[in-house]
Amino acid sequence: MTKKQAVYFCTGCGLGEALDIPALVKVAKSEFKIQDVKEHPFLCGPEGVALIKKDIEAGVNTVSIAACSERVCYDVFNFGPSIIVERIPLRERVAWVQEPGDEDTNMMAEDYVRMGLSRAKVTELPEPFLVENPSKTILVVGGGLAGMTAALEAAKAGYDVVLVEKEAQLGGWAGKVYKLPPLVEPFTDLAENNIPALAKAIEDNPRIKVYTGATMESIAGGPGVFNAKIKHGGGTAEEKVGAIVLATGARPYDPKKLTYLGYGKTNVVTHAEVEEMAKNGKLKEVKRVAFIQCAGSRDPEHLPYCSAACCVETLKQAVYLKEFNPDAQVYIFYKDIRATGKYEYFYKAVQQTGAVFIKTEIPGVQVLEDGGKLAVAGKDIILGEDVTIGDLDLVVLANGMQTNAAFGEEVVLEDAEAEAAAAKEEEAAVKLDQIIKSNMLNLVYRQGPEMPALKYGFPDSHFICFPYETRRTGIYAAGVVRATMQVPAAIEDATGAALKAIQCVEAVARGEAVHPRSGDISYPEFNMNRCTQCKRCTEECPFGAINEDEKANPLPERTRCRRCGTCMGACPERIISFKNYSVPMIGGMAKSIEVPEEEEEKPRILIFACENDAIPALDMAGIGRMKYSAWVRVIPLRCLGSLNLVWISDAMSSGIDGVMLLGCRHGEDYQCHFIKGSELAEIRLSKVSETLDRLGLESERCRFHQVSIMDYYRIPKLIEDFVAKIDELGPNPMKGF
Amino acid sequence: MTAANNQASRYDPAFANELYSIENGHYIKQCMQCGLCVVTCPARHLMDLQPRKYFKAIQAGDRDRVLKANTPWLCTSCNLCTVRCPRGIPIIDVMHGMKLYLAQKQGVKSAPGALFSKTFFDVMLKRGRQWEAWLTQMYFLKAGPSAIKDALKMMDVAQPMVLKRRLPLAPAKTIKGKSQLKKIYEKAAALAKEGH
Amino acid sequence: MANKSILVIGGGISGLTTALEAAEVGYEVYLVEKNPYLGGRVAQMHHYFPKLCPPNCGLEINFKRLRGNPRIKFFTCAEVEQISGQKGDFDVTVKVNPRYVKPECTACGECVAVCPAERANTFNYGLDNTKAVYLPHPFAFPLKYVIDRDACADGCRKCVEACKYNAIDLDMEVETVHLKVGAIVYATGWQPYDATKISYYGFGRHKNVITNVMLERLAVPNGPTGGRIVRPSDGKEPETIAFVQCAGSRDENHQPYCSQVCCLASLKHITYIRENNPNAKIYVFYIDIRALGKYEDFYTKVANDENVIFIKGKVGEITEDPATGDLTLETEDQGAGQVVQQTVNLVVLATGMAPSVTAVPAELAVVDAGGFVISDIAQTGIGGAGCAHKPMEVSASVRDATAAALKAVQAVVGGGK
Repeated sequence: MTKKQAVYFCTGCGLGEALDIPALVKVAKSEFKIQDVKEHPFLCGPEGVALIKKDIEAGVNTVSIAACSERVCYDVFNFGPSIIVERIPLRERVAWVQEPGDEDTNMMAEDYVRMGLSRAKVTELPEPFLVENPSKTILVVGGGLAGMTAALEAAKAGYDVVLVEKEAQLGGWAGKVYKLPPLVEPFTDLAENNIPALAKAIEDNPRIKVYTGATMESIAGGPGVFNAKIKHGGGTAEEKVGAIVLATGARPYDPKKLTYLGYGKTNVVTHAEVEEMAKNGKLKEVKRVAFIQCAGSRDPEHLPYCSAACCVETLKQAVYLKEFNPDAQVYIFYKDIRATGKYEYFYKAVQQTGAVFIKTEIPGVQVLEDGGKLAVAGKDIILGEDVTIGDLDLVVLANGMQTNAAFGEEVVLEDAEAEAAAAKEEEAAVKLDQIIKSNMLNLVYRQGPEMPALKYGFPDSHFICFPYETRRTGIYAAGVVRATMQVPAAIEDATGAALKAIQCVEAVARGEAVHPRSGDISYPEFNMNRCTQCKRCTEECPFGAINEDEKANPLPERTRCRRCGTCMGACPERIISFKNYSVPMIGGMAKSIEVPEEEEEKPRILIFACENDAIPALDMAGIGRMKYSAWVRVIPLRCLGSLNLVWISDAMSSGIDGVMLLGCRHGEDYQCHFIKGSELAEIRLSKVSETLDRLGLESERCRFHQVSIMDYYRIPKLIEDFVAKIDELGPNPMKGF
Repeated sequence: MTAANNQASRYDPAFANELYSIENGHYIKQCMQCGLCVVTCPARHLMDLQPRKYFKAIQAGDRDRVLKANTPWLCTSCNLCTVRCPRGIPIIDVMHGMKLYLAQKQGVKSAPGALFSKTFFDVMLKRGRQWEAWLTQMYFLKAGPSAIKDALKMMDVAQPMVLKRRLPLAPAKTIKGKSQLKKIYEKAAALAKEGH
Repeated sequence: MANKSILVIGGGISGLTTALEAAEVGYEVYLVEKNPYLGGRVAQMHHYFPKLCPPNCGLEINFKRLRGNPRIKFFTCAEVEQISGQKGDFDVTVKVNPRYVKPECTACGECVAVCPAERANTFNYGLDNTKAVYLPHPFAFPLKYVIDRDACADGCRKCVEACKYNAIDLDMEVETVHLKVGAIVYATGWQPYDATKISYYGFGRHKNVITNVMLERLAVPNGPTGGRIVRPSDGKEPETIAFVQCAGSRDENHQPYCSQVCCLASLKHITYIRENNPNAKIYVFYIDIRALGKYEDFYTKVANDENVIFIKGKVGEITEDPATGDLTLETEDQGAGQVVQQTVNLVVLATGMAPSVTAVPAELAVVDAGGFVISDIAQTGIGGAGCAHKPMEVSASVRDATAAALKAVQAVVGGGK
């Protein structure tokens, strides 16, 4: 498209008073040769917007709005998909944080105009990457409660589903239980096991194709174009699918590790064994039963986490023990009864059956032989004394659960290992994703065959507000494979995961990214002529979106891409670009900053800031009219992961005195929406010192800060501290060269 | 000898079930041991088992402790625990049920609290209203020599009470319709016997 | 013909999630929020447990998703007045209350400078005041001012005169909007249980008895105290703090269900206090500590802090020493087997969640005794999501709200035929 640029300066909200607008107009006209430059005292008002629209009708297609932040007035300044709009945030990032009318304030504003216009000059309208005939079929791996729920719920919304279950019939763990805990109001009565009904509904549903006795041989491709090979019946079936729900469940904690709670003794059993006994009618003679909660769970020697479901499972079994034998007497040794939410009603209902609850320490109770029967001894904390419950027919260990994703050998990627070792010497390396070869998905991904494991092996989300965050685009874990949970939560989780899978296939069909850049149609293009096969892009992509061929050429799977630009930041040859985001574009913005001569004593500090958190924080500083140094110039990045080191060396060689990076918190509780972007940026920065040394510069001229969106009150201080440091170091000796 | 024999009277579900079957006794099962009743109870410092622990002992089927406890006899029926109990247990009704159970099971002489209650009601029935001076004397006489000694120790309380006219030595007037009150009482006693 | 659009009532984290998730599939969504801003209750939180990260971080992403999605239309200051019809074909009347500030508002703030009247800052649970014209909070989305007309001085028009953009209309009237939708999701969230109803805790009488939601505002850097956790009575930093768990939850005289979040919320609050004051000593009075799943790690972390003492026993009485403002809690310490009196500088009541659903049409949807909307959206076309559905924490609410989006999609796909 041939660009016809126009620039609009708003003089409202104090901009007219704070800034020398004619000087800014001059920058646009004389430096950027833009003829259409207009001012308006209320640009976001109807008249101002009409002014812009009129110019668009007359042929303007690239609009630079020098006014407020892109986070506000986004609706009034939206002129449709064919018009490029660049916002120059003079209000929040200049006028509201600087002394009005000051020379330095205006120099700052001029630089923002330069940065904005240089970006507008080169940016292009993105066009979506559309795959041919994308599949909208949802593959559900695992045919237990969560998997069956996900399959049925997706089918009910009108989507085709392929359901793969490794056992001969559907049902999984829930299929083997006698009854389920209460699932509906008033949450006091056991639910009949509805798994057979669910299985029937699935078999009767023409949209759902079921493979039982089947496992995933391999899954290649990406969202919309996954090629799933299913091993079944001695052969291999192939299905083209659009997105995947991983619902392979959990397994009971190995009771053999619970000998300290008596496992191995006759009639010491697990929850699962009680279900089996119930189904076989073997509970009729059972009279005296003790349950030991937290058998393995909440125990640093075993499972440090709470298995979430065991309290309610025990309550359930206590109820049906009484149904089988009205004379049955149940004792429950517990630490805390975690019957959350409306399961409080169930707890009370179970108490009404006469079950006795004994608060104790676990481990700490002992299971003893008691003249052919069993006894449990421990401290009754509430009664304040030691107790022994004897003459027991059965001792049940509430043995918790472990995700199936945690079982298997840990994958060691050869190259990665070597490099990690090398990097360790430099004391800076991104912790590699832990991939456990659990044989559930068998992804044909360069980054390993399964979902990355988080703590305790759960392929969970790290985000409170985004529980379906996934590091493998289009693959959503649901149910107890993802986190321990109670039955109703697993049903909700599976339904939510089905929605995310559906959303993903629809987004792929439109050529859009999924969360967190949902709706973004830009995507990275690789100029392969200049690729040196260094593999950095494949290794650093947080979402495993890039495969490699035998010669180590990157093979980007476009629909796996989340558009964060981490590959662009990683590439030393700068061959990766988006239509509207590229190394030269951001580099050009940095270079457009006018660096005053050393004698003027006006240092310049370039800040690269995460647009998701640091930029809103800077806007908040503006809205709060906080003041910070006029030496800084801020460039927003999609994610700090897209930071390319060349920007820093270019900035330094052009005389910029310091560079500051504002990224999200990383580490175990990372807040980076692109998982590792912020961490990668900090590591890259640590490697820049070499370059600086070569230029004869101090490495302190570059600094990284982890900031959150709420740090707006702290950012001015961080800036002031850095300015002080730069003052101390003196001007960049490269100035003027 | 099994562990169960070792603690013959503890965790005896038969005993717990026996108490669950008395009037309002089934409510005891739903006690979740929060302890709010203890804090609200004005007589807790006199109880050898405070309400929460008393319920726990019942749940545990701890026969010895439950039968020995003075808890229900000291309940003043102030109702505070009942209105606050988060699990909706009508605690004073449970205590009444326990008193009846204990009185029938052990007679009233076995526990000082029980004897006091019995005396209280006897005085009440005779006059239709309470005569505290008479109640005190009757109670200590019935309770035996050691109780009289105890009573003498409390003269420092009694004397000012008399002077302040909170413990009148002369009986107040008998109420009207005393015979009807007696009928009510007899009916209630009959109902209780039928197990209502 | 079946109407395929979806109405989401409530613009908190659950409502935003249901709206965005459905819109990102490709459905038209209307979002109706009664406050003048989106974000709901979580916008008032300092941190989420167990990550201790700021809610605005996730809200910002959601607002960004919203800004870029043409399929969502949202209303603030708006309430649903009437619903009629059936799954696939509902008629909804939405009342849009006057904001008194027009969309032209640039948020320049000139009006605030001239406003002579004040109002209690509801965003800060009344812990401080704002002017009658105010920005609900610094992160407010949309970033537009609003006027509390009840707080205005009679005949005052100073803000109107100060506004250069003619964005204030003091005579703005209620507007009525009619919508046709195929499914309706109540995501109206929750309210802290009214602690004054638990008379023996003295909330409202004893100044230094506060609720957990108030503590959030005290801890947050943009709150009434600038992030300093201090006592309301004298502004002093408390050295000893007691947490009273199940204040109104698991209680048949109040809310019989467990609110599910209060244990973890208190653990989180302890981290705020410990960061604020390394010497602070904290007592937690509880019945059961309910930290499901990996939240157990967070519990373990806090429980390992030697300045934090967990006492099993429900607090019975809280009395105030009028001279010092200190409070004495009476409880049965079941571990020690005796009644204890603990005197502290500040008491935090872990009040639970009451659903804030109002006026759900009984003939169209099912509401339980506690006020939660429990009908299946796919079947009836109307149901609940998040804390309007049942008590739960943020992460579970988002999961539930995502599931609700699918149920709503199912309702409009198959509905109304």
